[in-house]
Amino acid sequence: MDSHESSERKKQKRGKETLTREERKKQQEFQEEAVTHINSLYNYALHLTMNPDDAEDLVQETYLKAYKFFNSFERGTNCKAWLFKILKNNYINRFRKNSREPGKVDYDLIKDFYHSIKDAQSDTSEAESDYFHSLMHEEVYQALQSLPEEFREVIQLCDIEGFTYEEIANMVESPIGTVRSRLYRGRKLLRGQLENYARKYGFNTDTEE
Amino acid sequence: MSCALDGELTAKEEQEFLQHLSECMACAEEFIEAKKTKMIIREKIVRFNAPQSLVDSVLKLGVTTGRQAEEPLLYNQFS
Repeated sequence: MDSHESSERKKQKRGKETLTREERKKQQEFQEEAVTHINSLYNYALHLTMNPDDAEDLVQETYLKAYKFFNSFERGTNCKAWLFKILKNNYINRFRKNSREPGKVDYDLIKDFYHSIKDAQSDTSEAESDYFHSLMHEEVYQALQSLPEEFREVIQLCDIEGFTYEEIANMVESPIGTVRSRLYRGRKLLRGQLENYARKYGFNTDTEE
Repeated sequence: MSCALDGELTAKEEQEFLQHLSECMACAEEFIEAKKTKMIIREKIVRFNAPQSLVDSVLKLGVTTGRQAEEPLLYNQFS
């Protein structure tokens, strides 16, 4: 009896230690698998919210949820895609109700966004010499922002984040064929927008070369 | 076209696509244009770094068992 009881207690004790070790293992795996994507998530959140504070909240919330449900993440699949999906859902639930209509673009908002993010990013080393460079970037950004949301989104996920069609389809909850056609149409629109800009800054848009 | 651009074709499909491009001027031109657009987007969209305070607080997730002192390296700037 006595020995049974003490072995029970030992088991409990060991159980507790194992749990902690498991928790630590989970934490470490989480950092390796998930936290490494924090910059991508932050940029995605910036694109969605157009506001550094909201973006930060959104990323924070996403990681909280991801950590809580990390056990349900299917090991071996793309963790970045999983995180993006969580972030997107959070965004829809939390921000989108109060935000601008999809597809509508407020250029002043974009400008403000740029300046606030540039200020926040106190990377002074490239501040002035890179003014021209960032100006060009601003134009590309505006062109991208001027696209209807469903086009812009797939272009971002594909070209900037490098997701596969299958991953994108899962994220935007549409068939792969829809993703493909949105990419095609979105790029066509974008190309039109970029053409003048490209000619202006030396990208050759003539096909003769 | 999009599939070819994004590396979503199988080897066999890609071969067929390239074969087609060599015979069809219109598609070849469009493909070049599409490639340029993709390149511009990739190169010109600036990526920002997540603020350090955000990184720190995310790294702290899961440290709830009073064992914080054991991994100070991971969130040394957390305040």
